[in-house]
Parts: sequence; structure tokens; C-alpha cells
Amino acid sequence: MSSNVKPSWTATRLPFIATWQAHFSAAVMAREAPYLGALPTLITASLVFMALSGLVLSVHYDPAQGFASLQFIDRDVANGWLIHAFHETGTTMIFGAVYLSLFRLMLTRAYKAPGDFVWVLGVAQFALLLLVGYLGYALTDGAVSHWSVVGAADATARLTGVPGALGTWFFGGLFGPGTLARLAVFHVALALAIFGIVALHYAGRRAIAPIAHRSAAVGFHPYYTAQYFVAFVVFALIFALFVFFAPHFGENPLNAAPANSLIVPATIRAPWYLLPVSGFLLPGVWGGIIIVIARLGVLFALPWLDRSGPGGRRGGVYRSLVFVLAIDVIALTVITTAGPSPLGGILAAILTAWYFFHFLVLTPLVTAMEAA
Amino acid sequence: MMRRILVPLLAAGLGLAGLAHADDTLAPVKFQSDGALGSYDKAAAQRGFLVYQTVCASCHAASNLHYRDLEALGLSPDQVAGLAASIKLAGGQPATLDDVFKNPGLPASAFAGALPPDLSDIVNQRPGGTHYIYDYLTGFAAAPADLPMLPGHYYNTAYPGNETAMPNPLKGNDVAYADGTQATAPQEAADVAEFLTWASDPNLDARHEIGVRAIMFLVFLTVLAIATKRRIWRESV
Amino acid sequence: MAELDGQVVGHVAESRRDFLKILTIAAGALGVGATIWPFIDALGPDEQSEATTHPIVDVAGIPENSGISVMWAGLPVYIRKLTAKQIADNQAVVPDTLPDPAAYDERVKPGYESFVVVVGLNTGVPCRLEGNDPADTRGPFDGWLCPCDGSVYDPLGRVRSGPAARNLAIPRFKFINDAQIQFG
Repeated sequence: MSSNVKPSWTATRLPFIATWQAHFSAAVMAREAPYLGALPTLITASLVFMALSGLVLSVHYDPAQGFASLQFIDRDVANGWLIHAFHETGTTMIFGAVYLSLFRLMLTRAYKAPGDFVWVLGVAQFALLLLVGYLGYALTDGAVSHWSVVGAADATARLTGVPGALGTWFFGGLFGPGTLARLAVFHVALALAIFGIVALHYAGRRAIAPIAHRSAAVGFHPYYTAQYFVAFVVFALIFALFVFFAPHFGENPLNAAPANSLIVPATIRAPWYLLPVSGFLLPGVWGGIIIVIARLGVLFALPWLDRSGPGGRRGGVYRSLVFVLAIDVIALTVITTAGPSPLGGILAAILTAWYFFHFLVLTPLVTAMEAA
Repeated sequence: MMRRILVPLLAAGLGLAGLAHADDTLAPVKFQSDGALGSYDKAAAQRGFLVYQTVCASCHAASNLHYRDLEALGLSPDQVAGLAASIKLAGGQPATLDDVFKNPGLPASAFAGALPPDLSDIVNQRPGGTHYIYDYLTGFAAAPADLPMLPGHYYNTAYPGNETAMPNPLKGNDVAYADGTQATAPQEAADVAEFLTWASDPNLDARHEIGVRAIMFLVFLTVLAIATKRRIWRESV
Repeated sequence: MAELDGQVVGHVAESRRDFLKILTIAAGALGVGATIWPFIDALGPDEQSEATTHPIVDVAGIPENSGISVMWAGLPVYIRKLTAKQIADNQAVVPDTLPDPAAYDERVKPGYESFVVVVGLNTGVPCRLEGNDPADTRGPFDGWLCPCDGSVYDPLGRVRSGPAARNLAIPRFKFINDAQIQFG
């Protein structure tokens, strides 16, 4: 007998809700997926959290006042200090989750076709997030971030040709009274643009998601809803530990002083989440940006640098090399945090060279050898 | 003149707060605000404000602080309004609760170029924080014979480079504490360090208090979440 | 029998799982609510706006028998200090004889009987009143006079004659100490 169940209230008005409900309950997920599979959802939730806290901050932030504006938020806005701490610590959490996610994807070789487009979208989100993070760091108008932006704007003014035009377009010329206001708008606009890429990325991931065997499959709801909730609460616990007991984790303590156009700090060091890509820079006008672009570039190219055939195996020597790469990146961050020293400079150069060696030489060779 | 008004008011405040004590609060120097679970010693911060107002405010500004913020130190709005009224602003009128801490308005040329820094956020801006402020204020000493001092500079063991442009501001008994604490120079330094720590981070108490509760709640919620997840998954077998 | 057993066992287990689920969801919702509250709170007025909305006015400097005018929330507020004679005269007035009956104590704050704080707008035709300065024309009761329609008020702001039928409005304020008033 065909059922003539009346379609629900929402089904006639917003049919996509019914589609979503069916989608989330459909038995297509494998059992025993690892908890770390919740990372992309955690990253998205963190993005939403950052957008909300950023929205509240932007109501009170005045780019013309910069540092004084943040002092005002911390002291005079009801719970402003907490929203500020949420936004500061949220940055650490989201980048921590993103780096962990990148590491996991490289270990499991999820970037291999047909996952290559999804990987490219993911690295695009990462690159955009780095830029948004840098702009947020600039907006703190601290002693160090001020000079970082001044230096970047100076460098773009000295560049010629297309890069120079792009750079001066972005910064609006040399640092001046309007620079922070423009960077604030870009910070918000680019952050919201990331949501667009998130949507594309999700669609891409759905397209390549493996469908489990009928007999052993479970629906996302309620099984993975419950599992993701555990991951979420643990994430929130770690977040709370940082927010309430170490809100300035990973920041340069010199940046707690206000911007001063007459005093240049002895060292200009970015917050921790920018160091894996910018910890080691070359001198000169190109130095600030060329290494960052190159590091991101090899990440984008990874699906094609990996020469193992379709369905390349996990594990093997390459897996150990990915661990070595992780240690390499962590070591670079730690060395940069420790401050400049002759030994530190040499080590940073070696670690950066290894990074490129890993992607450009080891990856093609080792994966090709292991595929054979 | 200011002391005549400030002292009775602070005595009333400290008496009401019930935190008065007369013995030396040092040895060894430990600040109640240190550490992950620290909180402000409000009596010390009130004493520190007295030292700040008597000694430091004649040269230093604190332009991120308003007089109404002092209510967080355990003073009633009435006491703070009275405190503020005893301070005459640049135009001659008495300060109100909503005024910014008085800026002495002195140009850098009055200090041979070394403008005294704004103290509202000083503890966050100096590596070493509270302890650095204490070490700096108690670190004035006679210069060693072999060190040529710059003109107009004073030897200080804590200051980077050891030559600072500020003369020793605390000589002991610069103020008379209403709660009977001995106003030795180290005591005044410790109290002003606690006050300046509060000024730089007024939300520390709230942050730590909410933090402890949040962690406890989240641990409880983690246990619940894991139990629920296991219960739901067991059901699917 | 087995089916019955299964049902009974299943029912108990189900209610236990439901309790756990409900507890978890409730606790989770509590956590979410506690996190969202600061966002909503932070969007409200900050201390500076609160200070502007609730300004503090110094009244100790007002000479007897004269008044000052301060703007608050778009309204001109008159603060007048009364002389002892004005206080005595007005305390003696029987409220029922007034067009808008009001006793002395309803118009002033307890403990501060010599200060009158009113909105300086005529309650008939809206118009700024005159009478703060002792040299102004104040009308027969030594209070305020409306230059537009001739309404007469006494020093407590009670209407005595004229087209206006209601006493002057009293804004929200309190004495935070002997010398200062805070509005709002």
C-alpha cells in the first residue's frame, strides 16, 4: 500500500530541510570512524565563533584609535575583555586545528585523486586564514605589529610591475591614517569569503566521501552527532584552559605595548600561528613574501608531487617522512620564538631547506619508489 | 593637603572592607595576583593607589583609567566620588567619577626628553610584570665606581642597561597608611606594584573565577558526552 | 515470554539512555547559553555610554535662591537651591488647594529638602521656563514663569495658575553624596 503521509509543515515550505534531515540520518557512514574525523566540523564551528566574536568586537573597535580602542574594549565594554579573549584564543584554537588537520591529511594521503580538488580548496582556506590572521594581528596596533605592517607597506611600495601594483593596491600605499581602517574591512571581508570556500569544500568532500557497506553502515545522526559532540566538548575544554588561564598564548609580549612610530622593537616576531610559514624570511623587498608563497605553493602542488599511483598506500617510509616534516615545522616555530641568535639563524635556514627538500625531492622520489 | 582628605576616606574604605592589617606584608615578596589562580589583594591595591596618587601621579598619566574604576578595589561609589573630588583637574574643577585619571600634562622637555610612561598598562608592557615593577622601585642603588653614568640618569639594578632617567621616588614613609601598615619603601613598592597590576588587568579576578567554574563544568560535560556517545553506539550493535 | 522480557529490559534501558541524553543535551544547552550571554552583554552600552547617559552634576556650588540648567536626554533640567523661607512657605501649603495636588515631600528627595530638580519645560504649551536667575521674573510665587502662556509655578515646580494643569516633571536622579547628583 502506498503511504499518503501528508508532507510536513517544513517540507512544503522549505523542502531542503527535509532533504537535510534525510541526508543526516541516511545510513552511509562507516562505524568506528576516528574522533579526529570531527576536525573539519570543529574548524567550521571555530570559524563561526570567530565571526561572532569579531562582530561584537567590530561594534566597539575604532581603527583611528587602534590600541586605545582595544583598551576601551577590555576596560569599559561589558564583558568586552572576555569577547576579546575569545577572539584571541579562538585564533590559536582554529590554527591549531587547521595544522593538525593538515598533518592528518598528509599522513593519510587524503589529497590523492579524486581528493585533489578538495585538498586545493582546503589549502586555499588555509592561505586565506593566514592572511586574515595577519590582518587581525595588524589591527591590534601593537608596537611590533605596527612595524610589521609598515615594513610590508614599504616593501610593496618599492616593488615594481604587477606585484608592486597588487601590493600597493592592497595596502593603499605607505602606512598612514587610513591604513588600519582599510585592513579592518579586508579582515572582515576575507574572513567572510572563507565561508564561501567552506561551502565549496563541503560539497567537494561529500562528492568523494566513501559510502560504507549497507550492512555495516550507520547514519550520521545520532551516532556521529554524539561522537562529534564529545570532540566538541573536549575542544571547548582546551579552549577554556587557554582563554581563562593563558589568553596571550603564542603572542609576542613586546606587542602588548602600543604602536610607536618613533621606536622600532629589537625583533619583529609574528604570533605563533604565522611562524610555520613565515618563521624564516629572506632579506630584501621580496623576502617577506616569497618564502610564504613558496611554502604554500608546494602545499597546493602536493597531490601532483605525490607520485604513487591511484589508491596509493598509506604507511611506509613516506609516512615517517611526514612525521619528520611535522617536527621540522614545529622546530622552526620554536626556534623563531626563542629569538634571534647565530645558531638559530643557521638552524632556521636548514629547517626551511628541509621543508622544500621534503616536498620537491623526497615526496616524488619516495612515493614513486614505494608505489613500484 | 590631599592626604588630609584621602587618608580618612581610605581608612573608612579599608575599615569597611574588613581587610585591614598592621603587620609588614612582605618577606618573601609574593603577590596574591601571581599564578594561574591568583586574585587581587584589594587592601594592597588601595594602599598602592594612595602611593600612586601621592608620589607617582605628579609626573605619570594613566589615561586608560577612570576614577569610577576604583570601585572595583572595594571602595563604595561615595568614597570614590569623594576621592575624585579631592583631585583638581587642569581647568581647576574637581574631578568626577567619570573623569580620566588626571594627566599631569607635562611635556617631555620637562624631563630632558624622557617622558614618564603612561602607567595604565605598564605591567603588561614590561617583561617581568609585577615583579619587575617591584624590583625596579626597590632597585635604586649607588652606581658602581667603574660605571660612568649618563648625565641626569640614576643607577638601578633592575632596569635594562642599569641607567634610568627616574630618580628614586620612594624613600619610605612617603604616605601614611590608614590601616596601620608600616610604610617602608619596599612595602610601598609592593603595594604600588599590586595597584599597577590591577590597573593593567582589572579583569583578572573575574577571569580566574569564571575559568575555574568553566573548567569544572566542561569536565563534567565531557564525562556526560562520552557516556552518552557510548550508550548510543552500544545500541547500534 | 522472551518478547515480554525483551520489551521490559528494553524499556528500562531506553529510559536510562533517555535520561542521560536529556541530561547531556540540557547541560550542553546550558554551556552554550553561558557562552552566548557575554556576546549579548557586550553589545549593550559600554561604561562611557553609561556615564554619558547617567551624568553626574555637581550641585554644591549652586547659590541659594538660584538655579542651574543642565541638558539630559534632550531635556533641560533645572536644579534650584531653595532658601529657608521658601522651604517653610511651601511646606505650609495645603496640597489640596493646588491645581495638581502634591505634598512638599513628594517633590524633593528625603534628606535633601533644599534642592529641587525638575524638567524646565512648561506642562501646557511646551516652552522653556524662566526663573533660575534671582533677577528673572519668577511670578508671584518666586518659582518659575512660562513666557509663552503665562503659567506660574512655585519653587517646587508645582503649578499654581495658568493654562498648564500639571506640575513640572521630575526626572530620574539620585544624590550620590552631599554634593553630586547622578541622573538616570
